[in-house]
Amino acid sequence: MAKEIEKTGIPVAVLTALPIIPLSVGAARVVRGVRVEHVCGDPRLTPEVDRKLGRRIVETALEALQTEVDGPTRFVPPDEPLMEELGLGV
Amino acid sequence: MSNQVRVLHYLNQFFGGVGSEDKANIPPECHEGPVGPGRLLQATLRSSSAGSVVATVVCGDNYIVENEQQALEEVGAALDRYKPNLVVAGPAFDAGRYGLGCALVCMAANARGIPAITGMHPENTGVLTHRLHLTAVPTGAEASGMQAAMERMVRLGLRLAAGEELGPAMEEGYVPRGIRRAVDHSQTGAERAYSMMMARVSGDEYVSEVQAPGYETVSPAPPIKDVSKANIALVTSGGLVPKGNPDNQVGGRARDFFRYSIDGLDRLGTDDWESVHMGFSTVHLNTRDPSYVLPLPIVREIEREGVIAGVYSHFLSTTGNGTPVTTARRMGSEIGSELRAAGIDGVLLVAT
Repeated sequence: MAKEIEKTGIPVAVLTALPIIPLSVGAARVVRGVRVEHVCGDPRLTPEVDRKLGRRIVETALEALQTEVDGPTRFVPPDEPLMEELGLGV
Repeated sequence: MSNQVRVLHYLNQFFGGVGSEDKANIPPECHEGPVGPGRLLQATLRSSSAGSVVATVVCGDNYIVENEQQALEEVGAALDRYKPNLVVAGPAFDAGRYGLGCALVCMAANARGIPAITGMHPENTGVLTHRLHLTAVPTGAEASGMQAAMERMVRLGLRLAAGEELGPAMEEGYVPRGIRRAVDHSQTGAERAYSMMMARVSGDEYVSEVQAPGYETVSPAPPIKDVSKANIALVTSGGLVPKGNPDNQVGGRARDFFRYSIDGLDRLGTDDWESVHMGFSTVHLNTRDPSYVLPLPIVREIEREGVIAGVYSHFLSTTGNGTPVTTARRMGSEIGSELRAAGIDGVLLVAT
């Protein structure tokens, strides 16, 4: 789906818990989300931290949209220390 | 009895009898002997007196794909403990995370020198991601094909366990891995090309020796130059619909996407929105926050801050669960045309 949208000239950031899937079928800009059941945040966090995490994911997606890529590229939100600290690392 | 093949079987939480999507986060469990469809595997092995299922590993679909390293360590421990001569994974049919799990387990077995076989739909995620390393018999989308799949997995699996090298995928009946081997031909390339050309012009059947790659390569769209002037559209495959599902969106194998207005809307509440996705547990979306598959509140926040210029008046929603590639392609193309016409500069697509 993302590839067909990109074909029309509009960049697409795919936010997903399983980047390997869109990357293997050739999606250009892939952003790692949290988990399948909650891609853009984490209900196990307090609402404030959850919101912060969601914001980082969306900001990474915007960064991806502004990045020149020449093939499938993975973007990782800079929240890994936070997620690992909380025992939520993937 | 020394030539009896010891089989370790891998199943997800559903086929392992643990539960549905609410149990998709369980770590691997190891059981002695066959479980669930493993009984059919056992019967198939025994009918040819070839061996038996010594153990079954059951793992949640989310767990294995989200905690790959930990999950495979535990699978590896089971392999070390039971020392199987063959690993059989699935079959997974068109279940994407299950297929990916089966592929990972097969690769973990291969890394230990243990032959492995799985079965799944040729468009399953497991094939898409790990085709090159997988011996998989093709199955249909439905679990009703269990018996046929199991028989074919056993037939090929026993040959792998005996140390045989399989012939070409098309002849042996497994999903092509995309490997080309040097073989002896009785005819030169020119002669074969000539026969193929003659077959083609006379409308006869022929099989190309070079299979086209499964996925079309698309050049990435150019990046947004100035995001503060950009209009962003939100798209989701999380099955998000207005409460009550007015368009009767389906929970899997969706053929359509729908557009819903978010004009003037700052957040999505569980009273007004729900996910009808049936490929994962929607409890977080439907009891806490639907924006886990459509980050509207955050996008509104950055819109207010002037980080982006605007947000498309509607979001586009489908259910990404067992969607055939051709359908996904058509939907993507329609969405692309709509957004292009609306002057959209970039898309955030949440894929579950």
